[in-house]
Amino acid sequence: MFVSWNWISELVDTTGVDPKAFADRFTLAVAEIEGVVDVAAGLDQVVVADVVAVSPHPNADKLRLADCDLGHATVRVVCGAPDLRVGMRVPFVPPGVTLPSGIEVRHGEVRGVPSPGMLASEADLGLSEEHAGLLELHGCDAAPGTPLCDAVPIRDVLYEIDNKSITHRPDLWGHLGMAREVAALLDRPLLRPSTEGLAFTDADPVSLGVSPFSACRRYLCARFEGVVVAPSPVAVRLRLRSLGVRPISNVVDATNLVMLETGNPLHAFDARHVRGDAITVRQAVEGETLVTLDGVSRGLTSADCVIVDEVGPVALAGVMGGANSEISGDTTAVVLEAASFDGAAVRKTASRLGMRTESSARFEKHLDPETAHLAALRFAHVLLRLSPGSQLVSRLADVGRHVDAPPQATQIHTRRSYLRSRLGLDATQLTDAWMDRALTALEFDVQGPDEDALVVTVPSFRAGRDVGIAEDLVEELGRVYGYDHIPSQAPRVAARPPFVPPSKPQDRRARAAMALGCGLTELVLYSFESESFRERVGLQERGADGDVLPREVLRNHLSSDMTHMRRLLSNNLLAATERNLLHGTRAADGHKGTRVGLFELGRAFVPVDLPREADHPAVDWGLPAPMASGDAASQTAYLANLNDVLREGVQSAVATKRPLPWQPRRLAIAIGERLGGGQDGLVQAPRSLSVALYREAVGAVESLCAQLQRPAPQLARQPEPGVLPSGVTSGPGAVDLRPAWLHPARHATVAVAGRYVGLISLVHPEVRGALEVPAEVVLVELDLDALLSVDTVAERGEAPARFPPSAFDLTLPCQLSARAAALTGALHAAAAAAVDDVDVDVRWVSEFVAEAGGAAADPTGDGDPFPRAMTFRFTSRRAAGSLTDDDVRAVRAAVLRCAAEQASVRPGWAAEVDA
Amino acid sequence: MSTETPAWQADIDATAAASLAAIAAAQDLATLREVEVAALGRKGSVTALTKRTGQLDKSERRAYGAASGGLRKQVQQAIAARRDAIRQATVDAELADLSFDETLPGTEPAGGHVHPLSRVQLELEEVFTSMGFAVLDYPEIESEFDNFEALNIPGWHPARDMQDTFWLESGHLLRTHTSAGQVRAMHQLEPPFRAIFPGKVYRYESTDASHEHTFHQLEGLMIDRHVSVGHLLDSMRTLLSAIFRRDVQVRLRPGYFPFVEPGFELDISCQVCGGPGCSVCKHTGWVELLPCGLVHPNVLRAGGLDPDEWQGWAFGLGLSRLVMMRYGVSDIRLLLGGDARFVEGFHAGA
Ligand SMILES: [Zn+2]
Repeated sequence: MFVSWNWISELVDTTGVDPKAFADRFTLAVAEIEGVVDVAAGLDQVVVADVVAVSPHPNADKLRLADCDLGHATVRVVCGAPDLRVGMRVPFVPPGVTLPSGIEVRHGEVRGVPSPGMLASEADLGLSEEHAGLLELHGCDAAPGTPLCDAVPIRDVLYEIDNKSITHRPDLWGHLGMAREVAALLDRPLLRPSTEGLAFTDADPVSLGVSPFSACRRYLCARFEGVVVAPSPVAVRLRLRSLGVRPISNVVDATNLVMLETGNPLHAFDARHVRGDAITVRQAVEGETLVTLDGVSRGLTSADCVIVDEVGPVALAGVMGGANSEISGDTTAVVLEAASFDGAAVRKTASRLGMRTESSARFEKHLDPETAHLAALRFAHVLLRLSPGSQLVSRLADVGRHVDAPPQATQIHTRRSYLRSRLGLDATQLTDAWMDRALTALEFDVQGPDEDALVVTVPSFRAGRDVGIAEDLVEELGRVYGYDHIPSQAPRVAARPPFVPPSKPQDRRARAAMALGCGLTELVLYSFESESFRERVGLQERGADGDVLPREVLRNHLSSDMTHMRRLLSNNLLAATERNLLHGTRAADGHKGTRVGLFELGRAFVPVDLPREADHPAVDWGLPAPMASGDAASQTAYLANLNDVLREGVQSAVATKRPLPWQPRRLAIAIGERLGGGQDGLVQAPRSLSVALYREAVGAVESLCAQLQRPAPQLARQPEPGVLPSGVTSGPGAVDLRPAWLHPARHATVAVAGRYVGLISLVHPEVRGALEVPAEVVLVELDLDALLSVDTVAERGEAPARFPPSAFDLTLPCQLSARAAALTGALHAAAAAAVDDVDVDVRWVSEFVAEAGGAAADPTGDGDPFPRAMTFRFTSRRAAGSLTDDDVRAVRAAVLRCAAEQASVRPGWAAEVDA
Repeated sequence: MSTETPAWQADIDATAAASLAAIAAAQDLATLREVEVAALGRKGSVTALTKRTGQLDKSERRAYGAASGGLRKQVQQAIAARRDAIRQATVDAELADLSFDETLPGTEPAGGHVHPLSRVQLELEEVFTSMGFAVLDYPEIESEFDNFEALNIPGWHPARDMQDTFWLESGHLLRTHTSAGQVRAMHQLEPPFRAIFPGKVYRYESTDASHEHTFHQLEGLMIDRHVSVGHLLDSMRTLLSAIFRRDVQVRLRPGYFPFVEPGFELDISCQVCGGPGCSVCKHTGWVELLPCGLVHPNVLRAGGLDPDEWQGWAFGLGLSRLVMMRYGVSDIRLLLGGDARFVEGFHAGA
């Protein structure tokens, strides 16, 4: 919105105030000024000229020659304006002037005729975009030759106000409200525009009715006759234009001037077209239509408020008038509407119809109904000035809820000391007298029953949603005083360590373990999933019984691809892996950009399974704590402390309570490597690559558990799809057991101390085949909240062993069903019985000798039932001395005996090794 | 002593000459070692001469012994001298060789990368904890009550309109601001307290280079017996100076947010030009940074606190915006776009 300093200066004495310097103060105290515009700078040399003769141009049909009286001389210039005619009063620009629009006026010839100067349009002078014709100086009685700026008050400074900064201040949508603020800041009186001396009659303007169910709070009407529709004087036209409103005619301009002055939009009907001389304000009937002033036919609903005559709608309340009752050139009788409509209703209608008008933008702010009354009076004054023959021929009809039951004035009871303390000022800085003056200037009524107590009555235009409590007065005083004059005060601080939940350091360590320890790259992704990716790749989450698990569904979404909340983080990470493999990474990883390792820390959203989990103590109902879990007494105490609106809000929230979903913190990892080949949806990965990626993921999970001081993870395949391994327990919001990417034969559930925390899996071959880039990918999804619930392992500063260990390796030929964990466990138990301390590590697993030689992988092709070679390293120590050869022999013998007992190890192998 | 030259003298001399020549010719320690073995080893030429003593007359043995022993000593000394010389020459040559390219690029260690949002969030969490702030974490799917009602945002308020908020079929919503945690914090912590709660927030709005439907904020909340605008000013200047790691000036402008009263837009002195004005600050010397204010009494009530007893201030810092300011990110969509190359531009330092 634009604010004219000239207009402000009509409403408050601004003598000695530089509007550009004052803009800063205004921004800090009232509203943000986005720009300060200097209107008519550079027009000093432009003068008023009368066109005294017009003759044709000898060489051009579209140009004419204008003889212009400049007072001291008459000059002839070439002019291309179609509206040029004798008797016009127009601006003349002498040669040698460069206009704000950039036009340079020179002594020159136009098509062979000398033209020492030019006649100017509004656009030429930079006053508006209007360039169709010359700026005709209607109503300007200055002598020819008078400088234009002296003849017409066009020199002005405009403030461009950020509309967002005044959405909560309906009173600031007109110059009067702005001037009130300026007056308060300058400590000068507000010069109110006149509302006196109007000769209303006793006649009704029309037969007027307002439905109590409509969005209309107040409707005022008056009737004028003898109106002569004509252009407004140039000063009015230029003022409207510079404020962004198109001048139309004196009647319409009067409505707009009053809107810009008071902030209350008005509408003028041509009385001839108000059928039946009746006006009713009501809800629209479903299916009713109205052709608005812009010529568009609008379909209405019962949510809209309309103004109707005896036949049908004539205006869309608060948004736009109807074309059927528009003011035209031959209008002589006018019915004025000055109304106040509910902000929310106008906003709904305007936004549904896509009609944001000057009027709706103001009504949306929920205007003060008292302002409508002021606006009606101001319109009468302005119209009588702009159309001097007009007469008031009615009373000022005034109906509506606001008139039937006028609201009580808002009073605030507070104390001066409280207002001061909230600002951080004392009585010497913020004196009683200063307080009273500032509040009074803003039209608050101030009464002081005793030295400290204050009873402040809020003016109607600030009451309601804007000012209602003492804290609002703190703001009023603070901004007029100037926040930049408030000394800063260090708060008193209690010296105690702040509360930090354990999830915070856990997040930090997990992130460091993934990025620094495992060399993975962190992504932060959307909480929505791409439905088209899910569909292409076939992603779904299933429960143990095979049912598809629900996700949180958006009621409104930005795109049909983004309709649900994620239940798993890994799905998005799989999509990111695909994209990153497609365009390659920075290739600093030694894999030429064919490898990506990604992780994300974030929340998953798992709907609470009602009613099964309804009584779970961890369910979050989104209610204030006492209402969710408190006893009756604490609930009563809590509710008693609330105001009525809040209490109703709490009670309705309790009545309709639904659980928030589980929102566990999760860590997801994806490591993918691009493969060559793949066709017809079949992509095969070399077994060695799959094993390597899987082991990398396991390494990341092990490192995470170690970093978080949790026991080492236990890995096991699900015995049946969706069923946890025996002895493992799970809680609500746990990682889904059967995501579509789970590879039934190449996955592990991760349990820590018997608690299920998540999954590690190579992607299912169907999912692999559906990716846009042939790749092998391993995915991990871990529940950090579940991990947090497991007790930490105490770390001890043990002295390193004093004597050197002795190590040997053994390679066992195994069945493909052999499992490293089981063998390691058995071998360790056997070795530990023979020596004080022993570590058993899997050094190497050679799955298929054939593959290393380049032949097709066929583990059982040679018929060997023990094709897997697994190499273990045994590192033994004695507590009190160096290991002897006998010790090593004993360990070795124990291990071989144990291996011979393992069904998965080739029988007789131990004897071969011993031999 | 006979002056006649014994017959074996020629062999001694020849072996000496050959060995010394070979020693002198050796250019490196490995060759010298070979020469040493060829002369002094078990089958070496000098050793062979020594072994001949037994074949000579007793009269000659003493002289021959002295001569061959002398030869052995002479060769040993020559080898030692030559070894020192070679060692010295090699060290000298390495020291004198300036062909080494000290400007070769480093090879990158296989470290990963932390997302800049995480990095800035962690840094702020550290700054705030060091100043006594609790660090809290609240749900992203929130109840209408916590996100709106409790924050004094009544039903008629435009912020409640469908067009700004993602609603779920369950009736809950995606929190539109971290302020949704204010009332949770008041119930969770005993006053007086200071707390921040960073996290993801959501707005139902279409995206472009400066708008995202998902972004990150950091809420700050302080509750105490007496909290004034003066306290807010002091706290914000101190905190922002710590965040920007330099002295930051702040100013307050009126701003309307239903959950604070008075409410402010806080501007900081332009970090680019430092005051005189530049294109970043639109030549004002000030840059709008965050909304803040004194906690509205209705919000305190919703948080179970008596406004006659407790007061507070709150602010909402745009983490995404801070990341963009700090790292010169021109398009907000890069932050959550999932392109690893963007994150790989940042190092791991968590
Ligand atoms: Zn600057």
